Amino acid sequence: MFALRESAVSLTFFVLIYCFFSTLVAILWRPLKPADVAQRSVARLLFGLRILPILASIIITFAFVVPSFQLLEPRSIESDEGIGTMPLALAGCALLLLAFGCFRVVAAQTRTARVVACWLEGARPLKSGDGSTITFESTFESRAETPPLTLVGFRHPRVLVSESTVALLSDDELQIALKHELEHMKSRDNLKKLIFRFCPFPGMGKLESAWSQAAELAADDAAVSNPQDAVELAAALVKLSRLLPVAAAPVCAVGFVTGFLSERVTRLLTWDEASTARRVQIRTWFVIPPTVAAFLLATIAYGPVLTITHQVTEWLVR
Amino acid sequence: MVLSSGVYAIGMTKAFSIFGSSSRPQLGPFEQQLLQKLWSHGSATVRELLADGKIRQAYTTVMTTVDRLYKKGLLVRVAEGRAFRYTPRHTPEELQRVTALESIRQLLGSGEASALPLSYLVEALSSHDAQLLDELQLLIERKRRELKEQEKEQEKIREQV
Repeated sequence: MFALRESAVSLTFFVLIYCFFSTLVAILWRPLKPADVAQRSVARLLFGLRILPILASIIITFAFVVPSFQLLEPRSIESDEGIGTMPLALAGCALLLLAFGCFRVVAAQTRTARVVACWLEGARPLKSGDGSTITFESTFESRAETPPLTLVGFRHPRVLVSESTVALLSDDELQIALKHELEHMKSRDNLKKLIFRFCPFPGMGKLESAWSQAAELAADDAAVSNPQDAVELAAALVKLSRLLPVAAAPVCAVGFVTGFLSERVTRLLTWDEASTARRVQIRTWFVIPPTVAAFLLATIAYGPVLTITHQVTEWLVR
Repeated sequence: MVLSSGVYAIGMTKAFSIFGSSSRPQLGPFEQQLLQKLWSHGSATVRELLADGKIRQAYTTVMTTVDRLYKKGLLVRVAEGRAFRYTPRHTPEELQRVTALESIRQLLGSGEASALPLSYLVEALSSHDAQLLDELQLLIERKRRELKEQEKEQEKIREQV
């Protein structure tokens, strides 16, 4: 009974924290999107915001709720309190949420695997214009009817370039377009998309689409190192946009041509090194000081926080 | 300030009944001119609209036309002394957005087979896309030329040095 109550309370807390943070993020993410910041940093920030609810709920549940129950809840049979209807219902919701997240991930992966297997039929390592194998690894030339240029998978990511794309693009355009896709590979964007599938919440679609846009622009920025590259990438984008669209891409795939083509091309045509370098970068180590501060605070106030958590737990169970 | 009986809520849909079956607002040139003027003023009485002398029509003509716009639901009016002060009900962007929505709704509801108007829409969008791609292609070509010229100039400078 003790273990059952502990699980119910933990799951109740988990779902409440998840919903609270998700609502907060869904409402507040727009003003938090910084202007004049490098797109890679914007993408990182938006990804961080998107996964904040699930991270916060896991951390708080395992760092505070479970220990508070273990340490402060009496284990004797006489004091066995039973579980209220509300915590049971909320724990059920939490289990449903987790199961739904897992189902979405498995479904997305299965679909991706099926589609990619179809796209990979008859694919061969990509050769450059002079017949030598192109310098990028994990790059395959697929049949003409497959998507023009796509990064697929997350465990063993591969870039698929269709025969039509190879025929349509010049060598320079193809190289820079491949660099763009490989930047997505480096950023593990497909894995990030799969993580989004695991933590669904209404109202997160716009945040995900903003992240997707920032990730595209970040890959553009990383691939381009001079105005000539920028023009080649813009040309590749426009050329590939003229190809007929194929069936919708699965979750674990990042296509080269996306919806906001006009903005990307205009941005590339006005590319200049100075303004790109001037943009503020939010480095990963920026999160270390607040994390250390939060950890120290949590360590110092751990006892009182556990007591408060337990009091809330008691209130919830009743 | 006393609100006239005319200041009642007219929904967007009623406001756009003026468009009939056409995709363009059925406003006459003079009605459009007055609406533009009211957008630039924010709000105005008939006398204020005539004050700058750009409108040559008679006071009564302007009054009748403004009244017609009000009855079409495009203006809100407030009594001000013996006259009315007119304010546009919608911003130009709102008007454009709802006009477009209304046109699409009418288009989709017009055919016997609902897929047919939708295919017209897809066709129109595709041709728009093709036009956009052509424009972007032109921009790219222009940029390529610019870069080549810059490169040539730099080469010349290098040679001179």
